[in-house]
Amino acid sequence: MLAQARSWWRALTGQSRLAGEMASEMDSHMERYAADLMAAGVEPGEARRRARMEFGSTAAAAEECREAVGLRWPDEIARDLRYATRVLRKSPTFTVTAVATLALCIGANTAIFSVVDAVLLRPLPYPQPERLAAVARHWKDKGASGDDTPQTGSIWEAVRDGATYVDCAVFSDGSMGVNFAAGGKVEYVKQQRVSAGFFRVLGIAPLIGREFSADEDRPGGPAVTVLSYALWKRVFLGNPAVAGQTVTLRGEPYTIVGVLPASFQSSTPADLWTPLRPTSTGEGGGYNYAIAGRLRPGATWAQADAQIEAVGAPVLHENREASVRLHLISFQNGLTEDVRQPLLILWAAVGLVLLIGCVNIAGLLLARAAGRSRELATRMALGSGRAALIRQMLAESLLLGLCGGAAGAFLGWLGVKALKFLAQDSLNVWQTVELDWRVLAATGCASIAAGILFGLYPALAASRIEIRAALGEAGRGVAGGCNPWPRRVLVASEVALGVVLLVGAGLLIRTFAHLQGLDPGFDAENVIAAQLSLQDARYATNQRVNQLFDKSLARIRELPGVECAAVTLSLPYERALNTEIRRLDGRHVDAATEYQITNFFYVTPEYFRVLRIPLLRGRVFTSADRSTTAPVVVVSEAFVKMYLGDDQPLGRHLDLGNGDRREIVGVVGDVQQKSGWGDGTPLAPMPDIYVPSTQVEDKFIPLVHTWFSPSWIVRSSGPAQGTIAGMQRALESVDPQLPFAGFHSMDDVRYRALAQERFQAALLGALAGLALLLAAVGIYGLIANSVAERTRELGIRLALGATVPQAMRAVALPGVALALAGVMVGSVLAAFASQLLRHLVWGVRPGDPVTYVAAGLGLIGVAAGASFLPALRVTRLNPAETLRQE
Amino acid sequence: MGKQVDILQGTLDMLILKAVSLGPLHGYGILLRIQQVSKDALQIPQGSLYPALYRLEYRGWIAAEWGESENKRKAKYYRLTGAGRRQLKSERQEWKRLAVAIGDVLAAEPEEV
Repeated sequence: MLAQARSWWRALTGQSRLAGEMASEMDSHMERYAADLMAAGVEPGEARRRARMEFGSTAAAAEECREAVGLRWPDEIARDLRYATRVLRKSPTFTVTAVATLALCIGANTAIFSVVDAVLLRPLPYPQPERLAAVARHWKDKGASGDDTPQTGSIWEAVRDGATYVDCAVFSDGSMGVNFAAGGKVEYVKQQRVSAGFFRVLGIAPLIGREFSADEDRPGGPAVTVLSYALWKRVFLGNPAVAGQTVTLRGEPYTIVGVLPASFQSSTPADLWTPLRPTSTGEGGGYNYAIAGRLRPGATWAQADAQIEAVGAPVLHENREASVRLHLISFQNGLTEDVRQPLLILWAAVGLVLLIGCVNIAGLLLARAAGRSRELATRMALGSGRAALIRQMLAESLLLGLCGGAAGAFLGWLGVKALKFLAQDSLNVWQTVELDWRVLAATGCASIAAGILFGLYPALAASRIEIRAALGEAGRGVAGGCNPWPRRVLVASEVALGVVLLVGAGLLIRTFAHLQGLDPGFDAENVIAAQLSLQDARYATNQRVNQLFDKSLARIRELPGVECAAVTLSLPYERALNTEIRRLDGRHVDAATEYQITNFFYVTPEYFRVLRIPLLRGRVFTSADRSTTAPVVVVSEAFVKMYLGDDQPLGRHLDLGNGDRREIVGVVGDVQQKSGWGDGTPLAPMPDIYVPSTQVEDKFIPLVHTWFSPSWIVRSSGPAQGTIAGMQRALESVDPQLPFAGFHSMDDVRYRALAQERFQAALLGALAGLALLLAAVGIYGLIANSVAERTRELGIRLALGATVPQAMRAVALPGVALALAGVMVGSVLAAFASQLLRHLVWGVRPGDPVTYVAAGLGLIGVAAGASFLPALRVTRLNPAETLRQE
Repeated sequence: MGKQVDILQGTLDMLILKAVSLGPLHGYGILLRIQQVSKDALQIPQGSLYPALYRLEYRGWIAAEWGESENKRKAKYYRLTGAGRRQLKSERQEWKRLAVAIGDVLAAEPEEV
């Protein structure tokens, strides 16, 4: 069996050698026979003639030999492909249309699949990735369910102490920018905090030194760091004796204990790592940790999962989250929780586009088959079998599929390049997105599947022709020779699928437009924001921080064109720090253990002036609000609405969780923010409280600066050319070791806040556009074909007195009618499909009538255009000539 | 030259296997040997020899290699493989059984039926 396969493969791959061998073998046979004949006295010419005659046809013998070694099947395919190439070359318009359609569809699929593969499918770049897990809280609520990976310190402690089947480590999912100095270089680098054993769990051994020990990973432990390969190369020029050296991180000395290998890919962009030092209080009191685990050898997922659930039950119960249980999910799923759904939707959409493309080409093929019925009938009459005909037609569509696939792979390659950056911006894709063999294999399969999908039905339909009828037909039927319904159904379903895509895209575009168009609540013009990390040992107290603010702001205000300047903990459109408060007096009072959640900002007095946030009641801060004066707070309108309701806000008091009584002295307008809590809408006016930066407690300062880098915001009187350089200089003159991390306009900030929504809307919009184009091509082809088929009939009609508009309507109306039917079916489909978008749609309902009507009208409009355009040919029809043609 | 016999369907393979079992031969040589051993009683249609050779080679019963012929020319020589030897043995037994059976049928007298 194996020997047979080997010899078959040898024969297949060595075709020319095989042919040469056969020829020389048979030639020498005849020569020998001729020589023997001559030896027996036959005259040489006669001997050679007899040798050839008695041998018979060498070509037939060679053919039989090839069949004998199993080459019949490949031979026939080669013949079919050769013929298919000839046929396709003879009708370039059709071929180009089909290949271009496929190239676009397959290109789009290739590009999207490369992202889907990189994020969701390709195993993580760590050893034995299938045994890596993440601990998740599985919640169930009103029929919905989900997994949350952020965990508290107590959950971590329970898992750490109770899990024996899994080797666990805890880390902070996300990195922050910090100021780094070593060897005379100052850099702004990304730092991630991970626990002892984190790299062991991932399966990564440090290139140099070691990872953190348990002793270093507890509060108050020695300050140590592990460097990335790139940072080590950049700053220490690859010096192997780097362990034990000291670097300065946020102004504090850290000892290097290890360097990671170049091959290590971090799921969070990071240049260096420091110990997490998990606790169950402080940051550990909130959901700020993520837990990674690796199944120990011999342990099964079921065992480990059951254990984690048991271990988690008491801690979760304490948190009054009874409908929640702890369980294990794959580490990859844990990392991609947020992007999986949008990506899958995109993948489905692009698959739908491919389906539309296939339907389109199937329609074109059906039309062609109708035109070729004479050729097919002739071939059948000459003895070609039905199977051979089907095979021949399938060869044509496979060839189309492969050509389209090759062109699509090229388009996909271009698409991947563009998509890579979009995806990295908006989906936090950290794996390399590239056109590798996996993606190409998928593209190849898609092309072949597409070839069969669009080719099979037309091939089957075409092979069912009546030979006599087809051959006897004069060539042009009166109302079109073949059954037009299969093609009509195809075109209508194309329209229906197009409606689904258009509605989906419309909903996402309207969501994006809604979010983009929300009243920001402030005036962004001429405002520049610059972020700065204050994770710095020298700025650990309120006094030091406010000195920095005062001095740098004073210098910045001196710059030409600067109107006012302020510092804030975070900006509008960014995710803000959330905190718990208690209402102490008025109509709504919280009990001693009851808390409300709100966003928190510390700001310097001019903040509201810089952003022109309107003051609605009371006052904003002045420089007279010092740490020694009465504690005050300004709240937003949304805060009043949510927590104070009908009460009079001014003069009420709040406890910000530290036992003090802060008086509400003012109410300001709302600004849009990225919400971290609440109903999950991407942007919303959240309840906010503002506190003067001078009144932030000392112990709070290092904590908030671990998570947030404050922003300096500056309003200039006009487009400020030198402001950025001026701000840099102003800061340098106050503290030469503090670099601004980057300068942004407020529009940039908004742009970043909506990156994912923009990405989704843009991509789905592009796909819907493609679907619309394909539907137009399909309808145009159908009508153009029917005009061509009915030329004679139309000629007769015109000759009998029909007007040109009447004749045009007669051919074009079926196109519009089909589109109408497609739109109706598509709207029903879209109503189901849009349920998938439920969690991505904001500001519009999934059943938004405007979107449905717009999508339907858009498609019908395009269909009408695509129907009447080919019908215009009727105007050029000369009845006399058409009738004479036959 | 005696009377020539057409070859029974399926027996050509067996004859070729037998011919090359006596030593490696090229295609023409196989033809000659069969004619010679059968005293020219068996005539093999020359055109059908090669498809049979390729089929046997494909099945792994004979192996081919290029060598030099008696007159210093390149020729493709076929020899029997181990699998071919087993095949020849089983075909020979099959043939004997067939021959006996046919002989029995033809020798039958009216009273035996």
